[in-house]
Amino acid sequence: MSKGKPEFAGPLEPVGGCCYRIPRDYKPGMRVDGLIFANEKLLESIRKDQAPEQVANVAMLPGIQKASLAMPDIHWGYGFCIGGVCATDPDEGGVISPGGVGYDINCGVRLVKTNLFLDEVRPYIRQLVKELFHTIPSGAGRGGRYRFDAGETRRLMGEGPRFVIARDLGVPEDLAHTESHGLIPGGDPDQVSDHAVRRGAEQCGTLGSGNHFLEVQVVDAVFDADVAQVFGLELNQVCVMIHSGSRGLGYQVCDDALAVFRNCPEKYKIELADRQLACAPVESPEGRRYIAAMRAAANFGFCNRQLLMQQAREVFARVFGRSWQDLGMELLYDVAHNIAKLEEHTIDGVTKKVWVHRKGATRAFPAGHPEVPEAFRSVGQPVIIPGDMGRASWVLVGSAGSMQKSFGSTCHGAGRAMSRTAAKLDAHGRRIERELEHRGVIAMAASRSGLAEEQPKAYKNVDDVVDVVHEADLSRKVARMRPIGVIKG
Amino acid sequence: MYELFEHTADLGLRVRAADLDTVFAEAAECLFSAILEDVRSVRPAQEVRIEIAGSNLEYLLFDWLRELLLKFDEEHLVFGKFAVTVRDDGITGTAWGEPHDPGRHPLAHEVKAITYHELKVVPGADGWLAEVIVDI
Repeated sequence: MSKGKPEFAGPLEPVGGCCYRIPRDYKPGMRVDGLIFANEKLLESIRKDQAPEQVANVAMLPGIQKASLAMPDIHWGYGFCIGGVCATDPDEGGVISPGGVGYDINCGVRLVKTNLFLDEVRPYIRQLVKELFHTIPSGAGRGGRYRFDAGETRRLMGEGPRFVIARDLGVPEDLAHTESHGLIPGGDPDQVSDHAVRRGAEQCGTLGSGNHFLEVQVVDAVFDADVAQVFGLELNQVCVMIHSGSRGLGYQVCDDALAVFRNCPEKYKIELADRQLACAPVESPEGRRYIAAMRAAANFGFCNRQLLMQQAREVFARVFGRSWQDLGMELLYDVAHNIAKLEEHTIDGVTKKVWVHRKGATRAFPAGHPEVPEAFRSVGQPVIIPGDMGRASWVLVGSAGSMQKSFGSTCHGAGRAMSRTAAKLDAHGRRIERELEHRGVIAMAASRSGLAEEQPKAYKNVDDVVDVVHEADLSRKVARMRPIGVIKG
Repeated sequence: MYELFEHTADLGLRVRAADLDTVFAEAAECLFSAILEDVRSVRPAQEVRIEIAGSNLEYLLFDWLRELLLKFDEEHLVFGKFAVTVRDDGITGTAWGEPHDPGRHPLAHEVKAITYHELKVVPGADGWLAEVIVDI
């Protein structure tokens, strides 16, 4: 077993507002500063890997605007760090980078409400978790209950959740509460390879493994009563949080693109600090093709979470003997946290359209933004932040500061504190599910490795991460959610 | 000789061998040792041949592992035994395995992709060293 990477020894200058700067002169080729949102406590662990170096590397990308940004849940990733945000301007030769989106295109989270309270659910929690675990396919591998042929899979990418809702797997209101209405315009399923379609065809409506999960949670604390009321959240209310992405289809779209992009840096004379940062100008055949395929894969990701939600609704209906509508199982919101989107932002007083890459970062539009669903426009977009399975997750609301400081973005989760191998070693001889039960969490996982590698200790405390984005005014605290039931891959 | 090494959120495959043919074969076995709880549970019932053209050793290793991952993800085949011939202009690889049987082959990790990050195939003191990081 080898040791991890050396610590980051470069400059991280405090500039106020929970922000630390890697100045542009740190490395030749940097076009803008690097800026990391953090506090002193988190900074200590952030320095422990080379993620800040990756923030500096991203600052070299052609067309990058303002700064290469990172959220407080930053950790090492491929090319781009996880928690990274950057915006590029196509009119200034700006690039699109598959590494800036990640393998799991449109990995994201949705929160489904119920009208049940903790006391009503507690007697059924074991049965509920068991039924969820046996109904919802999880873990590495395949075998969803929904089978789509190649033609239907392409329609999922072309039409988004609308396609499954037309088959009674959801209601039209679900679309209004999904980022981009679950359909990112410009997605072209024909740009997605047959390999990707085959990897995805049987995986729509499956959870996958790694850090993906479905949790039964309870509202543990309310921090902003007015916003919570608009969101329909109150203390001790039971909700379901779902964290998954575009499954094998998305991984393959990224993999296909990286193979094509291998030669792009040389072709377009782009100097890169890391091969995994491969990129191409937005306005190039390679760039345009990737964008069309990435958007199509993102639409598939929305479909996957829609079908996961629908299966959870059916399980609740079965366990509680009432329809899911009677149980008030409305979708609060669905956010993507691995994606690149063309958005309008004001940079140095000029409003323009830029490609915002969010790799492990969540859109957090403030009150009044036209893309915030009407029901929430007076307060801002709901932001769903998954934490670890023992402690907490969060519901935040987009804040005005995000538009000024982070291209309308905030954090996406807790961020890992231990590697998978270290976590597994640490868990040796322990019964993680027993430990969780002592904390009041019933957990079931598809693989032995799953629970060990995903144990709470393997993650930073999500509360610390949320404190930073709240204080930096990227998004504000609304409610803290505590898990009571977990299913994992 | 191969081993898995830690890499933040993911896993690294590391192989040391006297010659390139063995490096490529053992890298494939290492990949399936990450996917499966026990790579030795795979019976060599079926043979698959993979040809890859190219001269860059790192990209050849990447493409070889990528093809095997696709066979697993698309055709649901698992492998436990490999033989590879590395030439100047490409490789010929053979993998022996069988259809994935969840009962006999419990899965350990969902490998999303082979990555280019710190991908290396380099000569060492006692032969060759290869390192590949896979995304989990």
